[in-house]
Amino acid sequence: MITSLLHDDMKSFQDLAHNFASKELAHRREESDRYPFGLFDDTVLAKAHELGFLGITLPEDMGGIGQGVRALCVILECICRTDASLAAIIFTNTLAQEILLKAGAVDLLRQVTVSNNPKDILISFPSYSNPEEHKNLPFATKGDMGYSLSGSIDYVVLAPIASQALIPARITGQDGYSLFLVDLRSPKVKKGESLFSLGVHACPVADITLNGAEARLVGQEGKGPAFFEETANMMYVAAAAVSLGIMKGSFDYALTYSNEREQGGWPIINWSEMKMILADMAIQMNIAEMAVSEACNAIEKKVAGWDVCAKTTALHVQNVACLVTTDGIQILGGYGYMKDYGQEKRFRDAAQNKALLGMAPLRKMDLIDQINSMR
Amino acid sequence: MIPNSEVQSIMKRFPKFEDSFIGLEYAPRLPKGIIRETKELIAYARKFNDEVVRPKALLLDKKTHEDPDYLPYDLMQTASEWGFYTMWVPKLFGGRGKNLPSLSPVVEEISSACVGIANVLAVHYLGLTSLMTSFNMKVTNRILKEVVEGERKGKPCLIAFAITEPIAGTDVEDNDLVDKGRVTCRAERVNGGYVINGRKVFISMGQVSEWTFVFAYTDLKKPSQNRVDFVVRTGTKGFSVGRHENKMGQRVCPANELIFEDCFIPDDQVLIDAYTIKKFTDKPLGEVMQRHMDYISSSSKAGVCAIGVGVARGAFEDALKFASETEVRGRLLINHEWAQCILAEMHKNVTLGRLAYMEANHANSHRGIYELLQMKPMYYYLKFMPSLYFRMLNPMLNTGLTTWAMSKMYYDMKKTEDVDCTSGLSSLAKFAGTDIGVRNCQLAMDLMGQAGLRHDRGMEKRLRDAKLLQIYEGSNQINRIASFKGLIAPVYPQTRVFEQ
Ligand SMILES: Cc1cc2nc3c(=O)[nH]c(=O)nc-3n(C[C@H](O)[C@H](O)[C@H](O)COP(=O)(O)OP(=O)(O)OC[C@H]3O[C@@H](n4cnc5c(N)ncnc54)[C@H](O)[C@@H]3O)c2cc1C
Repeated sequence: MITSLLHDDMKSFQDLAHNFASKELAHRREESDRYPFGLFDDTVLAKAHELGFLGITLPEDMGGIGQGVRALCVILECICRTDASLAAIIFTNTLAQEILLKAGAVDLLRQVTVSNNPKDILISFPSYSNPEEHKNLPFATKGDMGYSLSGSIDYVVLAPIASQALIPARITGQDGYSLFLVDLRSPKVKKGESLFSLGVHACPVADITLNGAEARLVGQEGKGPAFFEETANMMYVAAAAVSLGIMKGSFDYALTYSNEREQGGWPIINWSEMKMILADMAIQMNIAEMAVSEACNAIEKKVAGWDVCAKTTALHVQNVACLVTTDGIQILGGYGYMKDYGQEKRFRDAAQNKALLGMAPLRKMDLIDQINSMR
Repeated sequence: MIPNSEVQSIMKRFPKFEDSFIGLEYAPRLPKGIIRETKELIAYARKFNDEVVRPKALLLDKKTHEDPDYLPYDLMQTASEWGFYTMWVPKLFGGRGKNLPSLSPVVEEISSACVGIANVLAVHYLGLTSLMTSFNMKVTNRILKEVVEGERKGKPCLIAFAITEPIAGTDVEDNDLVDKGRVTCRAERVNGGYVINGRKVFISMGQVSEWTFVFAYTDLKKPSQNRVDFVVRTGTKGFSVGRHENKMGQRVCPANELIFEDCFIPDDQVLIDAYTIKKFTDKPLGEVMQRHMDYISSSSKAGVCAIGVGVARGAFEDALKFASETEVRGRLLINHEWAQCILAEMHKNVTLGRLAYMEANHANSHRGIYELLQMKPMYYYLKFMPSLYFRMLNPMLNTGLTTWAMSKMYYDMKKTEDVDCTSGLSSLAKFAGTDIGVRNCQLAMDLMGQAGLRHDRGMEKRLRDAKLLQIYEGSNQINRIASFKGLIAPVYPQTRVFEQ
């Protein structure tokens, strides 16, 4: 496949991410997927930080590497071929950073990114939902000393390890929600146990309860939905890149296996039904890659309707990744179902990734409303 | 309208009436008592779900993550106390003698709460069916007596089923493939029995079952014509348990490697081999063995379809509950039209899946493996005669006469069209029901979004559990080919299967 995602200037990022994934992630994949789920050992995050993966789109003067969405996609895709957990960490952190940037909360962000400790840099966020889907968001009260938050919020990604969380909360009497930065080390914040999830086990998640926890407003009151939507529009394509990488990993492994495994006296790839399944996987994967690349182009050039392009890409690619990874197990037969082979993990990770940035049916509904309104 | 002779001749054309409307043809022959019995059994399974399965399912799944070597002895004990391991053992063998097709809706019921736990119960019936369909009444009688005794003494005695080998999975399932493959489980004829060497993999409940049904081959170059089907007791010298597989789902039901190293199997544990078949047929061993496999799978694949339907139903019920409690964009999810359509689609899948296994079982009852037991006089006779009567009859099973009669009937006289139809339909049900299982889980995950990802909501476990159903009892690709072979290929004699 001509990797259309890869403009010449992206090759170095691809090599970097590829080397990193094979050196740091491949041999840890099985272990970091094992119960009790948690994080990779510290070296993985430290190395990722060193390479700039915890600040891919962050400006250089804030400690990032100042790249655009294409570099983000290339890096996420490459990492996910090996293990999507780290990609989920990078995705969530980038999403939170970008929201802060969109909200103009540069000073707040600077205070977080100044640290050299990778865990201090991480900002947690409930990235597997759109805050609007939560009926009972925490509520914020404004006092003399600033805002304080109370209530609970589910499934905050990175909460078990990050020092900060970007929390959506409602201000009494206002529509919509506002976004706040909360220090998770505060005694007024209670983190639940690391949650047992379907996939990306090395990307920890927890529910959070807030009891009047001090919070700093991000941007303006009531502007949460706008900041989230604006950022999500760009991040959709990154979510698609995660699914694309998972698909590629699944396809590569299935193709190799089908050449090695013999049944009926020859490699199973010679059975035409197997060829058909592999071809379907390749078709879905290649189209996904083209879609991600085109969406990156559209975003970079800010062509009209770029956001529709990004949303469409995410919905399509996140969905087909679930189908492709299902076949990815099937090609291996019983072995595909075992934890030793990585295919079952890709199946789980793809299904997990489908929920990134909110429920797919609601996103579809928004998409058609937007397309309709553009006529 | 048109003369009967014309009706008959038109309806002999493909698709034949008798193959397409089996349930309708069977309906007048169905003993009415089966309906009530089945209803009672489903209610019993629901109670079991409420009291045992639902409270344990997630806890046990978590436990198997904490301890990947966890074995479900407690659960087996409980299932045994509820009578599940003898429920479908015919009364003639001392069991509770419930009608065998009713196993499917019961399995659907339990799978709707937890597929792994359903398999801790159901795998035993795969082993049991493989024994019973060998029609070696003496060996079957001996082992089923132990099963019944096990339940009485509170020491569950289960039967596992082992045919898959490390480098021959699909290949051992069909005689057209096995000679091209590389089977390695060898049976060497010695005085008084066989010596077995080789390995089996992925054997569900292998480690915790008392007996295992096994295929081995006296000639590895021509296995199709040289198979030996036998049973081995766990703990026998030369027979050991290897690795405990680390699976994505259905984790409470262990899958093991089984190892044979110069393991002696006496003749009285051999079910079918080249010698035993001579007593009842002139057919080649390969043909008899393929038929044995067809009988096993026509029963078990209907059951796996029911498991698929069960998990599809569980996913539907979870999604429905979620939708009825969760407000999205100012309205309960259940009141969004798009969500209603997804729920209707899931419900349709469950309903059609159920029809598929019911039809496969009607075929088994009308023209297949359950035919004898499901005949009205036989059904009522077995149902209403007291246990004492069957205890008196039981020694007859050891005389050889019953083995001869049953083998003659099922291996020598049964029409090939009936076997093709029943095994084809059960393969169809298998891939239909299990694809539905995975599909409904994926739809439920879409509907539940973030909540579906959490273990404590149960949905993610269902998805992990469901995927296995598309793989075991033959991959769904192979079941498509098997249904083509049984139901479509006979129409065109020039059709060749597994030849490219
Ligand atoms: C958890 C678990 C429990 C199991 N329990 C049992 C058990 O209790 N007893 C038992 O005996 N077995 C059991 N099995 C084995 C199961 O039945 C096999 O895994 C299954 O038959 C597939 O065989 P395989 O895994 O070797 O895959 P393979 O046969 O290697 O197949 C790999 C892929 O190749 C395809 N393929 C192979 N041959 C062909 C062909 N001719 N044409 C087209 N495509 C082909 C398959 O469809 C599949 O997609 C279990 C398996 C698992 C995973």
